[in-house]
Amino acid sequence: MNPSNAQLLQLAIATPLGAALIIACGLPKRFSTKLAAAAFTAPLLIALWLWSQFPAENAHQYAYLSTTYTGLAAFGISLKLGLNGIALPMFLLAAIVGLAAGLYALRSGAERLKLYLVLLLVMHGGLLGVFASVDIFFFYFFHELALIPTFIMVGIWGGRDRNYAAMKLTIYLTAGAMLSLLGLIALYVKSGANSFDLIELKDAVAAQALAGHTQNWIGGLLLLGFGTLVSLWPLHTWAPLGYGAAPSSAAMLHAGVLKKFGLYGLIQIAIPLIPLGLQHWAWKLALLAGIGNVLVVGFVTMAQRDLKQMLGYSSVMHMGYCFLGIAALSTIGTGGVVLLMVAHGLSVALLFLLATSIHHRTHTFDLSEMGGLAQKTPVLAAFFVAATMAGIGLPGFANFWGELTVFVALWKFSHALTAVAVAGVIISAVYGLRAAARVFFGPASEQLQRVTAQHPPADLDWKEKLPALILLAALLLFGFYPKAISQPVDQALNPAPVTLTAPAR
Amino acid sequence: MSTELLKAVAASNEWWALGPEIILACAALGLLVLELVTPKAQHRFIPHAAGMALAVVLAGVALNFGKIWDGEELFGGLIRLSMPGQVARVFFLLSSLLVCFLATVCLPRARVPRVEFYHLLLVVTAALMLLAQSNHFVMFFVALETVTIGFYILVSYYRERASSLEAGLKYLVLGALSSAILLFGIVLLYGAVGRVEAGGVVHTGFEFGTVLTFLRENPGNFLATAGALLVIGGVAFKIGAFPFQIWVPDVYQGAPTPVTAFLAVSSKAAGFAVLLLLVHGAFAPLAGVLVPVLSLLAAATIIFGNLSALTQRNTKRLMGLSGVAHAGYLLIGVVASFTVPWAAGAVWFYLFTYLLASMAVFGVMAYVAGPDDSGEELDHYARLARERPFLGAVLAVGVGSLAGIPPLAGFMGKLLLFVAAFHAQLYGLLAVAVVGVVISIFYYFGWIKAAWFEIWTPPAAGTDSPARPLPAGPKWVGVAALALLTFATVLLGFFQAPLSGWLLPR
Amino acid sequence: MIPLLAAAPAYGLPSYLFVSALLFAIGFFGVLLRKNTLVIYMCLELMLLASTLALVAFSKFNGTLDGNVFVFFILTIAAAEVAVGLAIIVALFRKRHTIQVEELNQLKH
Repeated sequence: MNPSNAQLLQLAIATPLGAALIIACGLPKRFSTKLAAAAFTAPLLIALWLWSQFPAENAHQYAYLSTTYTGLAAFGISLKLGLNGIALPMFLLAAIVGLAAGLYALRSGAERLKLYLVLLLVMHGGLLGVFASVDIFFFYFFHELALIPTFIMVGIWGGRDRNYAAMKLTIYLTAGAMLSLLGLIALYVKSGANSFDLIELKDAVAAQALAGHTQNWIGGLLLLGFGTLVSLWPLHTWAPLGYGAAPSSAAMLHAGVLKKFGLYGLIQIAIPLIPLGLQHWAWKLALLAGIGNVLVVGFVTMAQRDLKQMLGYSSVMHMGYCFLGIAALSTIGTGGVVLLMVAHGLSVALLFLLATSIHHRTHTFDLSEMGGLAQKTPVLAAFFVAATMAGIGLPGFANFWGELTVFVALWKFSHALTAVAVAGVIISAVYGLRAAARVFFGPASEQLQRVTAQHPPADLDWKEKLPALILLAALLLFGFYPKAISQPVDQALNPAPVTLTAPAR
Repeated sequence: MSTELLKAVAASNEWWALGPEIILACAALGLLVLELVTPKAQHRFIPHAAGMALAVVLAGVALNFGKIWDGEELFGGLIRLSMPGQVARVFFLLSSLLVCFLATVCLPRARVPRVEFYHLLLVVTAALMLLAQSNHFVMFFVALETVTIGFYILVSYYRERASSLEAGLKYLVLGALSSAILLFGIVLLYGAVGRVEAGGVVHTGFEFGTVLTFLRENPGNFLATAGALLVIGGVAFKIGAFPFQIWVPDVYQGAPTPVTAFLAVSSKAAGFAVLLLLVHGAFAPLAGVLVPVLSLLAAATIIFGNLSALTQRNTKRLMGLSGVAHAGYLLIGVVASFTVPWAAGAVWFYLFTYLLASMAVFGVMAYVAGPDDSGEELDHYARLARERPFLGAVLAVGVGSLAGIPPLAGFMGKLLLFVAAFHAQLYGLLAVAVVGVVISIFYYFGWIKAAWFEIWTPPAAGTDSPARPLPAGPKWVGVAALALLTFATVLLGFFQAPLSGWLLPR
Repeated sequence: MIPLLAAAPAYGLPSYLFVSALLFAIGFFGVLLRKNTLVIYMCLELMLLASTLALVAFSKFNGTLDGNVFVFFILTIAAAEVAVGLAIIVALFRKRHTIQVEELNQLKH
């Protein structure tokens, strides 16, 4: 591999973290914003370059590998970075959403802006690190690095109930992370590799697979841990609350990217290493995800009156599709999940961004107090409708391909669950379109008229449009040219297909 | 006793092996002399002299780190230098240096004599170091008692303050109780082993080596097992393990902040140094008894420490009870070290991360506390991050590291312990530890919340309580010390080589 | 030879140990149950003396001298402990005018 590309990958992760350190050490505000803007942009440029250089035919192997020893080499822990066909789209997603969130944060004019930027930069660096880590210890480590700022940001800049929300978020996510850490340590010990290096773990498992019951309990630990992090029903209650309270940029990065950590972990780690364990839990997982996440949470979403809470619930619901795709245990399903993760990440980030922009104009998140905003802010309305369409999964947006592929895979797994999933699409169409209609069309409520009389709402300015445009462009690009993602993913999954014996039931 | 034997004993006296302890003891006496001969205006330099002595000895130990006389028994079997012993020396010296710094912050606020504090600090440090090198129960007991009696005085050092004296009395009663239990254990071991003649030399049950041989040859000897358990019980008091933890919250609260830090870090580490020394030395053959006992202790300690810390508002009690929980995690490492040898290194790694984080937090506590530091509540931290962002940041890093949040050093310590426990197949203990960690997030997070998240509290009507004065801003020494601790805590989270190359297998 | 001692029966090791264990138990429960600080303090000394008695007995019956030497260390330590302990108790009495344990409860939240 080209060594300079490996260094670029390291640079992409180091840039936001380094910038955060410099700003934290007391850089004046004027320079801080400029430095932060540069540090948010650089990873995307590097990600795009790495994407263009990616050797598609070898996507199942890691490209741009580099190893840095941190002093625990005896324990098989070293900072090993690299990208394969599954990691690459996620890395790109993190870079895109990170830039959008960063740009949006720069214009937000938040109190204590420097601290806000520092935390956001740390989060961004952590997210890039998650998807570039080949070492599963650092995979976890970077996840936590990105997670901690979330708690602090919710606590300091959060909206309503921020203290309760921050506390609940912290407890749930820490518990989930601890469980998944135990699962990862179990893999480390039980595989006999005595290394956290995913490549060595795969080799060890290929030489001798783990015993069936070991796979089962490790699978249970990982599903429970990752499930909490990805808001698997009924462990999802932190999500709407947390997203409802989180400041926009933190919500964008967390819901858009960080939450995918668990799914990504299942795909990159659990499927190759403990296929039988996953198979053991597949039906239970599918039922929880299908009935719980898609149907129950779907109906709950319909009942929401608060725009941000609704977005939080809808993101929980969409995670249900991802779990269903993983439970289908097929190459197609897994590939669909990766597509869906990228698409959902982009669309949910866009929706959170727009929701905050709406709030700036209406000073409320309550759907019943809104209406008629489209005449005053047509551009905002257009963006919001487009994002809603993307979220529902209409053709032309990346989500469509993800959901379609997941459904195809699911059909082979269970017809009934496919029907449930399709019903979910209708549910999401109902609440999505209804929210768009409430906010932008129809008569304005009295409160809103009073507010708009005092502060006449302006349409999106360029500083808001730019991040929104970046996200929307990515959505459309992957919608019309899904091959950009699907090709490396296919290449990564197909040469080493998931080998399974026939299901026991 | 024949002349040859005495000559042999004399030949084993390597005075340089005890150089650091001797220098510290001389420096301690020197401080008292210095107070006598110098004019009163110059007395403010005495803390610096104590700090200098500690720093010099620390440098000396670090430079001669590898020189341990090949692990030979010295002074007729009283002392044996070992690599863990050297690590312990560095640990105690570092900790005492930081306690010295805390004392320069706290003591001027109280109207108490100062020189004696530093004198006792040096004496206790020397005794701690001897304790970690001891190879003989008489040496062990005398060193331990020197430490304990020194701590009685230090805990009640604010003699004008009833809370400090009360804490001193409680520590005294329970400390003496545990010493008596430990002593009885030593006596039982001595009695059980009896008279052992090897090569014309008489050995007794006071020598670690003889106890080891005896236990190996007589498995299941009731008297010796009971003695060993009593000794472990006495040590469990030092580390504050359940059910010997009852003294912890009261004593931590009443003691002056530097002493609380000293207790929390050095005294606990001494307990673990001794525990590791014993369970891998003299008591190794008793693993069948010790593993279940220590496992039970660990589980109970973690659960008790975390649950009782949950409701605390007083920061010093919180540090004390959460420290109990940390002792529980460390006990898991000790249990694991029976089957996984490097777990002992992991315990030391954890102790070092605990040292860095605790000292950082105690440093912030020293600045936030007013003249009366026993009543410091979480509410006093409100607006800390806004008024003193530096102290707020140090607190966040320290508390975060104690909670075991990545990317801070404390997380790496916990990770290594967990990996060791996994290797040793201690699944039950792991489950307890994970529950404990999640509970601990709750109260540690509450502390960060108090300092960082602005909570608007309605001013109570009528009670126009005077606003708390702003926490004192640290001077440059304070800034340097706290920044260094914070930096080390963050660095060790990312890059463990400085410690791991030294404590763990490469 | 003093007649009284010569007439004394030769007690074995178990007798000494029994007395020692009894003293230790009295001291232990005294510390746990008594309310007066000074009495607690005496009970602590009793426990140390119980150990000393056992130590001397073992020393005699095992035929090793080390135990006798250790007794002197223990006595020295006990003396130091008493000195510090009584100083604390006196200082506390000056402040609080009580030496009853249940009244020393300032450090409860």
